[in-house]
Amino acid sequence: MLIKMLKKDYNRKKSITITLFFFIMLSALLVASGSNMIVELSNSLQTLFTKSNTPHFVQMHAGEINQSEIDAFTSENRHVKSQQTVEMINVGGSNLYLGDSSTPEVSSVMDHYFVRKNDSFDFLLDLESEVIEVDSGEIAVPIYNMQQNNLEIGDNVRVAGEDFEMKFTVVDFVRDAQMNPSIINSKRFVVNEEDFAMLQRNFGESEYLIEFLLTDLDQLTDFRNAYQSSNLPMAGPSVDFPLFQTLNGLTDGIVAVVVILVSLLLILLAILCIRFTLLAAMEEDYREIGIMKAIGIEQNAIKKLYLWKYVIIAAIASITGYLLSLFINPLFTGNIMLYLGTAEKSMLLSVIPILAVSLVFLIVVSYCMLVLRRFNKITVVKALRSGNIGDVQTRVTFLALSKNRLGNINIFLGVKDVFQRFKIYLLLFFVFLVCAFIMIVPINLLRTIQSPSFSTYMGIEQSDIRIDLQLSDDINQDFNNMLDYIENDRDVEQFSPMVTSLYEFINSDRNLEKMAIETGDYSIFSLKYLEGSPPLNENEIALSYLNSSELSKGIGDNLMLILDGDTREMVVSGIFQDVTNGGRTAKAMLPINEEAALWYEVSLNLKPGVSINEKMVEYSNAFYPAKVTDLEGYLTDTFGNTIDQLRLVTILAIMIALFIAVLITALFTRMLIAKDSQQIAVMKSIGFTLNDIRLQYATRTMSVLIIGIILGTIIANTIGEQLVSVFMSLMGASKIEFVIDPMLAYFLFPLLLMITVTITTLRSTASIKNTSIAEMRA
Amino acid sequence: METILEAKDVSKTFVIGDNNQQTILKSINMQMKKGEMVAVMGPSGSGKSTLLYNISGMDRVTSGSVRFNNREISSLSEKNLSNIRLNRMGFIFQDIYLLKNLSIFDNIVLSAYLAKNESRDKINQRALELMKKMGIAELANHDITQASGGQLQRVAICRALINQPDIVFGDEPTGALNSKAAADIMKILAEINEAGTTIMLVTHDVKIAAKTERVFYMLDGNIVGENQLGKYKESNNDSQIREEILSNWLRKMDF
Repeated sequence: MLIKMLKKDYNRKKSITITLFFFIMLSALLVASGSNMIVELSNSLQTLFTKSNTPHFVQMHAGEINQSEIDAFTSENRHVKSQQTVEMINVGGSNLYLGDSSTPEVSSVMDHYFVRKNDSFDFLLDLESEVIEVDSGEIAVPIYNMQQNNLEIGDNVRVAGEDFEMKFTVVDFVRDAQMNPSIINSKRFVVNEEDFAMLQRNFGESEYLIEFLLTDLDQLTDFRNAYQSSNLPMAGPSVDFPLFQTLNGLTDGIVAVVVILVSLLLILLAILCIRFTLLAAMEEDYREIGIMKAIGIEQNAIKKLYLWKYVIIAAIASITGYLLSLFINPLFTGNIMLYLGTAEKSMLLSVIPILAVSLVFLIVVSYCMLVLRRFNKITVVKALRSGNIGDVQTRVTFLALSKNRLGNINIFLGVKDVFQRFKIYLLLFFVFLVCAFIMIVPINLLRTIQSPSFSTYMGIEQSDIRIDLQLSDDINQDFNNMLDYIENDRDVEQFSPMVTSLYEFINSDRNLEKMAIETGDYSIFSLKYLEGSPPLNENEIALSYLNSSELSKGIGDNLMLILDGDTREMVVSGIFQDVTNGGRTAKAMLPINEEAALWYEVSLNLKPGVSINEKMVEYSNAFYPAKVTDLEGYLTDTFGNTIDQLRLVTILAIMIALFIAVLITALFTRMLIAKDSQQIAVMKSIGFTLNDIRLQYATRTMSVLIIGIILGTIIANTIGEQLVSVFMSLMGASKIEFVIDPMLAYFLFPLLLMITVTITTLRSTASIKNTSIAEMRA
Repeated sequence: METILEAKDVSKTFVIGDNNQQTILKSINMQMKKGEMVAVMGPSGSGKSTLLYNISGMDRVTSGSVRFNNREISSLSEKNLSNIRLNRMGFIFQDIYLLKNLSIFDNIVLSAYLAKNESRDKINQRALELMKKMGIAELANHDITQASGGQLQRVAICRALINQPDIVFGDEPTGALNSKAAADIMKILAEINEAGTTIMLVTHDVKIAAKTERVFYMLDGNIVGENQLGKYKESNNDSQIREEILSNWLRKMDF
């Protein structure tokens, strides 16, 4: 009996049933895939970290080291389980040729380090997650370069200096727990011991990773303080285990969160649809419900008739969604598998997605029960006498036709209806708002990351060209030569040299801590400060957002720096956003601390009309081995992977938004026509043509769409921006301001949405043809 | 007198379910002259309303010809039919088919605004005059829920007349009203007819039909009888006589 009723109901309301099914199924699919992704991510991370035996604390150092001092420190510190110093040869981009490319990697912002296989921990793994071992003449290339340069096993890698050349064959790709993510500007290539020695002889410049495994990760803070207050080498940033976890998980973590958020949105849409259809069904069946009650059928039994339908739809949709997710999962976890490797399948991997899907099912069913509570309000007498349930009350005198002098009568009637019965249009309005939101936020974020002004969030002043000089023996000489060259270059409009060095300061526990501070003249190139202004006096300092929040220092607060053995009281003049170097940087006008210098940079602007590209080539040759990049190149290199992922998300979001808009518009219009059939018949009887009425419906959806787009855009640019800021603040940029491409965000996308919705409305109103007063009576 | 509406061999068949066909009108032939007022009577299910909707172009005939003002309308496009309904025909129904979200006044002027034959000021003026004539002028700015059934039927008549149609079709226009209200509506319709508008009514009320000049009797989809009553002149005496004649005739028809 029940199945018969459900079958009949399905035949009567095919489109709404199918739509509901799709919403619930898609949301089950996404929630299953998203949760699967999170479990895979954490499993893979764990496996990668276990297999590679990732160090807990790593100090990078450019310059000489004294291993016996490190050993002494290690033996004295009870937290250290094991220590290892990794020597890395920094091969400049201009010496490195990847694949068949005849041009070196000059424009790459990455530091290319050549290393050997490690002995005790920090293993570099291959794609099978086994420790990499290579023979002479062989090389293992980072996955980042595999993707960027489309490298395959068997391709060549060439390292060439002025009178030196070595050729390697790619035999593997490196899964590197420390340096995997593209956001980290260092990449490790694995070569054989002999080749390493050869490179060492020819390139000489080594940098070191002083790595520690601790007995207990909880002691990390203590250990870091101990290391930093020691006299051990620290000419470079220090990184730790939690940071590796965050950076490795970031890209896919964000995607997983977005997937789950989209699925929540879909549930919301499903719920709104259920509300709309259930109320419509109840309105339609109001009299019948009254009759059933009158002949003594219990209220709960009647409710169950309605509830069962949705329980069955939700159950089938949830199961289908879950099963489909099993096929879709590889698509989502591909990036994880590539960078982090496959973990053994755990129980959680099957349990969590099923739990998540069950939750979707429960939400849908609970909501139905909530809506069905309205049954309690239906009394037999009311149902039989009025035969109509709470039709939305309207203010008829609002927007009177006879008082309006303007425009087309059909457009007027369409707009009037929307304003009069806005409650009915809420579902449509909400859907359009969401569509606008999910289209605009990703595109704005994409545009923001792609825009040169994104350098604001990297703590980089905006300039045409940026030259980075890494530490070498002759660095001061090189730097001065470079400045002379630039000073005499007539093509240069203005330039500003900057040196980043380590300085000591007194922290809140009255202990000495070290901080990388960039010094230079900040009046030349502008950087947008989150608060305050750049340091323009010798006693002023600007802190990065993460530094300022970790040290609890705001504008006007003091910070005691140690300069040449004396303390200097600095005042915090400004706070800027920076996602580079772990987000912990500072800027000040200080005497250069050459001994503790980490890197040198020059930012410069060219005179109008001078080609940036040609200048970059000229400087690359002149300032070898300095790295010359323009801002855009720097950003693309650093965020290339993120931009690709985001682009995929954007395209997906647009497709989903259009799909939802079409589906709901079609559904809503059909239901509205069914609801308004009598009014349509009346209009036809007094001479309205089919096109007149269709124009009215198109006007209705278009009015709702325009309101939805406007509000959706406002919300995307306010709440959406804040949401993105919350995500980005984890990385050091707390206040993202969208770079909006008005053509895309305010014209093309809304237009695309409008055209789609209009066509859908017009197609969905075709059934009006069959509505007439004659039919009403039949 | 000139013929305004003519049906020749009109039939209408409905398809019910997969293969089930039901013929509601079977080869109907009838004519109406300009300025005439006729009624169609018959038992429930005889096809009265179907006839009205088919010869007014509201529904499509299955076969046969319908000519309105000497123009074949059974094959006209929807758009042309809408245009005829808008400018040349008026409709009054048993149920109050007014647009719920418009005020009473807006309901009346709507089709005239759509037709755009005159300025809105002129239309508004005529609407007010019509409302005054129907005794509902004070309802202009009211919502349709604020008026009684009799008042709303007058609103529907105003709407039917706003574009000065050649013919007004009424499908049981007094069916839902009490006898006083029904009598009032009939009086108004008689006046309209007097002023030159052709009227065709479907009814099963003898009192209503007795006020028309010609009555068709339908049975099982056929017109089986016609009674020429002649022009109605308003007097109690005349009404009673006409009702009696009609009743006797209907009895003969097994009504």
